[in-house]
Amino acid sequence: MSGTDDHDHEGHEQSTSMASRVGELVAKLEAKGILSEAELDAAVEGFLLGTQRAGGPALVARAWVDPAFRARVLADANGALDEIGVDMTHWVRVKLRAVENTERVHNVIVCTLCSCYPVSLLGPSPSWYKSLAYRARVVREPRAVLAEFGLTLDPSIDVRVWDSTAELRYVVLPRRPEGTEAMAEPELAALVTRDALIGTAVCRAGAAGSRDP
Amino acid sequence: MSPRFRAGDRVRTRAVNPEGHTRLPRYLCDREGTIETVHAVYPLPDDRARGVSVEACKKEVLYTVLFDGREVWRERSVEPLSVSADLWDSYLRPERAR
Amino acid sequence: MPSTHDVGGASGFGPIVREAGEPAFHHEWEARVFVLTRRLLQLGFYNLDEFRFAIERMPAEAYLGSTYYEKWFAAIERLLAEKGVLP
Repeated sequence: MSGTDDHDHEGHEQSTSMASRVGELVAKLEAKGILSEAELDAAVEGFLLGTQRAGGPALVARAWVDPAFRARVLADANGALDEIGVDMTHWVRVKLRAVENTERVHNVIVCTLCSCYPVSLLGPSPSWYKSLAYRARVVREPRAVLAEFGLTLDPSIDVRVWDSTAELRYVVLPRRPEGTEAMAEPELAALVTRDALIGTAVCRAGAAGSRDP
Repeated sequence: MSPRFRAGDRVRTRAVNPEGHTRLPRYLCDREGTIETVHAVYPLPDDRARGVSVEACKKEVLYTVLFDGREVWRERSVEPLSVSADLWDSYLRPERAR
Repeated sequence: MPSTHDVGGASGFGPIVREAGEPAFHHEWEARVFVLTRRLLQLGFYNLDEFRFAIERMPAEAYLGSTYYEKWFAAIERLLAEKGVLP
């Protein structure tokens, strides 16, 4: 874990002070027998390990190769995830809904009120997803936002924004890129980026191994 | 608890949010939309945020409501879009079909 | 009651800043706050809506001036105090 603002003196001091405040609170809770520092360390480790197994790309790749599975993903995403062994429990067991991109519709996900996100499926959300700028803008000017992300949509495509205001979490089922007919599931899964699952990108053939910006 | 609305029904969101916690974003207040999906009954977050237990809190049917961007943003519209939110029954009232 | 958090459609927040290869957490204390928040919720000290409401009740200047996990920490501190756990 590396700080990105190590060269920013003020940011560094602020963070040091936060670290000590958090440490003090944990010590107080530990003194009361509520939890232990070791338990929190284990939870961090467990969470970070879990994020490496984030199930979104596996879900999409299976849906691309198996039309019956795809239908189940769209009808009952939690049931489909159970089939491939991904547990949606994070804070609570949340209901997941997959929304499908088509030739006509492009879907984008946001939470304008806080930062709801399918963490157990996609791992921790990127900072930009939680930013005031994204939350404020994507419900009013999604095409402009997507263009800033490098995705210019044809004007004939309808843009649909899903504001996650309840205990329902959304994930975009992206379109399978052309020229991937011969690929097997693991190869296909490698084309599925986090941003494509949020809807701020599309999947492209030849993007394997590429990282989200 | 049977749902008050069905998919396709026209609804209008309440005009003003109450004090306290609620999950109807302001930009969707007093807007006309269409019921897209009828979900299950869920605890009302407005109650839960005050510490009311799951057992004692109000429970209401949750709906996904779809809005047209022009209805939402009116003179502030900058591009075509549709937007949906997941809203509890008491945030909505019936609106006559156009 | 501030509704600073309710930002859908608001102008003036500028461009969306993205960080290449962003780590899950930028500081160890952020990861601590993340699991601490979840653990205290699981233990029943507050529910998710109370947690969200605690963030929403921050004064506007504090809400806008705090980082994401600073807001979370402020919410935990407030809830633990209000509920008499750590007065």
